Amino acid sequence: MWQGDDALSRRRDVARADVRQYPCAGMTSLEASGTGTTGGVRFLGGRGAYGRLLARGAVLLIVTLGLYRFWLMTDVRRFLWANTEIDGETLEYAGTPLELLTGFLVAIAILVPVYAGFFLAALNIGLLGELTGIGAFLGLAVLGQFAIYRARRYRLTRTIFRGLRFTQSGSAWIYALRAVGWWILTALTCGLAYPFQLASLERYKMRHTQYGTLPGRFTGSGFGLLLRGLPMWLLVIGPLALTVVVFVDSVDWNALADGVGQGGDDVMGRVEGGNPALGEAIVFAMLMTALSALMAALLYPVFQTVMLRWWTSGLRFGEIEAHSKLRIRHVYGAYMRFLWWGGLFTLALTAAAIPLLILIGVLAGKMPDSGLGDIAASLVGLGGYVIAALGYSMIYRATVLLSLWQLGAEALQLSGLAVLEHVDATGGASSPLGEGLADALNVGGY
Amino acid sequence: MAGDSQQGMTSGAGIFFDGRISTRRRVQVMLTSAALQIDDADGRLLAEWPYTEIEGLSAPANVLRLGRHGNARLERLEIFDPAFAAAIDARAANVDRTGGLQHRQRAIAIGWSVIAVAALVAVAWLGVPRIAGRVAPLLPVALEQKLGAAVDLQVRNTLDTRRAGAAFECGTGADKAAARTAFARLTGELQGAAALGMPLTFTIVHRPEANAFAIPGGHIYVFEGLIDAATGADELAGVLAHEVGHVAHRDGTRAVLQGAGLSFLFGMLLGDFVGGGAVVIAAKSVLQSSYSREVEAAADVYGVDLMRRAGGDGRALGAILARIGGATEPGMKILRDHPDTKARVATIERLSPAGANRAMLTAEEWSALRRICKD
Repeated sequence: MWQGDDALSRRRDVARADVRQYPCAGMTSLEASGTGTTGGVRFLGGRGAYGRLLARGAVLLIVTLGLYRFWLMTDVRRFLWANTEIDGETLEYAGTPLELLTGFLVAIAILVPVYAGFFLAALNIGLLGELTGIGAFLGLAVLGQFAIYRARRYRLTRTIFRGLRFTQSGSAWIYALRAVGWWILTALTCGLAYPFQLASLERYKMRHTQYGTLPGRFTGSGFGLLLRGLPMWLLVIGPLALTVVVFVDSVDWNALADGVGQGGDDVMGRVEGGNPALGEAIVFAMLMTALSALMAALLYPVFQTVMLRWWTSGLRFGEIEAHSKLRIRHVYGAYMRFLWWGGLFTLALTAAAIPLLILIGVLAGKMPDSGLGDIAASLVGLGGYVIAALGYSMIYRATVLLSLWQLGAEALQLSGLAVLEHVDATGGASSPLGEGLADALNVGGY
Repeated sequence: MAGDSQQGMTSGAGIFFDGRISTRRRVQVMLTSAALQIDDADGRLLAEWPYTEIEGLSAPANVLRLGRHGNARLERLEIFDPAFAAAIDARAANVDRTGGLQHRQRAIAIGWSVIAVAALVAVAWLGVPRIAGRVAPLLPVALEQKLGAAVDLQVRNTLDTRRAGAAFECGTGADKAAARTAFARLTGELQGAAALGMPLTFTIVHRPEANAFAIPGGHIYVFEGLIDAATGADELAGVLAHEVGHVAHRDGTRAVLQGAGLSFLFGMLLGDFVGGGAVVIAAKSVLQSSYSREVEAAADVYGVDLMRRAGGDGRALGAILARIGGATEPGMKILRDHPDTKARVATIERLSPAGANRAMLTAEEWSALRRICKD
């Protein structure tokens, strides 16, 4: 039976070779994919096309004060999905901008009374007011996680592959409570629980994910990720921990308590007088914090690689297993591209800003009392800030995020693909409320 | 048919998924006069789609992906031959291979978004202050006092940088009885003349700046620096009368309502794209300071009138303003929340009735009040 399928799919691939034309040169080796039982994932999209899509989107975002984001988000997903080819067949994103807009409006309708309630409750000073603050924070955290889960469901049910959609069951509330519980635990353990959090939450997500009738699951282990991440954690947390040790060791706590306890004006002066080592300890702490931040920045691409490789390698759909061979140096390459384009963008911005500022200076000099110079300067400042922030964000999307998608996809080796020929359809499209909530709460993803 | 020559090929190859099972089928596609017909390799008819129901779907470049509109089953047909794709495009109105239809729809959406943004800005500029001005007087005094108590807590935390607690207030000591009496008489005169439906609370605090401000609920803070800067009781009373004007106009409550309204308009509806947060903050501060310039001018007018009713000299407000406001104020005009000092002083001079006024406090009372914050 399996043998027969293999032969069939091989014939099908040969047959397809004369039908299909690929947009990119160098991507014509059809033999590389779709051998029936094992195969890869390819990304067909061009960087240039994606960059133009984002640049146009950025301009329209400014013009519409952000309302265009529903259209841009849909364009981005259509591009990424349509250009991701699994075993010779591309994904289709079937969501529409109007669905996202509707979801956002519904979310607003829900959140406005909630915010108004919090506002009124916060007017009650004292215990009730403080409880309201904590309750509001926790409530919004749970709601944010709820939104993340429901938004994933929206994206999955809008993902169509070979005429079948993905579906997601499970309770978004249970997920949200678990996620918030895990976040608290992760915070309490300085991040050591994070791998177990990811594994647990991903298991929940994948356990409730299906492609047609093909059930998903997640096999990545939190402990495995912890082992890979521990050296990085030590390099980042180590300097901070050392600082604490040095502080405890070098500071005369009784003198410090006396100095602070007396109150009055010259607290710092007395504290320094009682603790000659304190100044050195503070300098040491600042150096160590800088070292920790530097480590975090330098290691972040490694962290992303390890996470992405671990996550994608743990994905399973029925007999289909994924294995990722993502390389760290490729991810660093993506960041190098970001630095290069970001640098060019900075130069261009500076080159545009200087003559503009000179012009304003001249104009303001001619009409000193009109306030025109003030207005022009603040408009240029504000416009410059928005353009810069949007520009860097779009360059980041066009370099790092696109590369992570592409590298993460192309590093995948899939086995057990023969099952793809016999999956039955199930489920329908879900509501876009989750996306809307995620947007309104600012927890959105791709 | 004449159409055949224009519409090109009438048959071609494709890949078909029937939406029930994920099996990939090589199919032969025939274009008949009213429908697209899909046959499998053995010539069996798999599907027949009327051209009016065919829609184009998201796909990589050079692939035409088709589906049937409104079909719960996700039947998909993929065409890889550009000439054959063009032939289908020519027949099916809803297939948008070149993206022209999508561009037009999107242009409409963008156009409306721009209009919506313009409407939003107009509401923020003109509507929000008017709405807040209408709503603020309707709020019951009890609610305003609750709001004031919440604001008071924050104000104390911000101002009391040395965490002095109760000692942050001036004039609490036993030796300050005379100063307290003098201050109570001054504020009592103003309160009596103002005759608001809300009790006023005046608090002097240890702050070096020459300033005073009112928060919702009729609570007015006076800084030590203001008492130092005043050359007489009337100058102090003038500033206090201006602040009573804010209370009478419910400006604090209005500011809270305006802030909430602007946050809602810009923050919530427009959402947070990168850089959007800065736009919101900038728009808020520009708009709020523009509201506040009008509000300050109105409080000046009220203050001068209140001084007249209380029997003081309204010009004293102008005098102390001219002194503490300085000749030129740094900062940008559109962000400045008080109107130009020179213009304010001129307005106050114009409004103040000429003629002798009795002083608000006696010389003894004033000299006691001046030392209310001193050890």
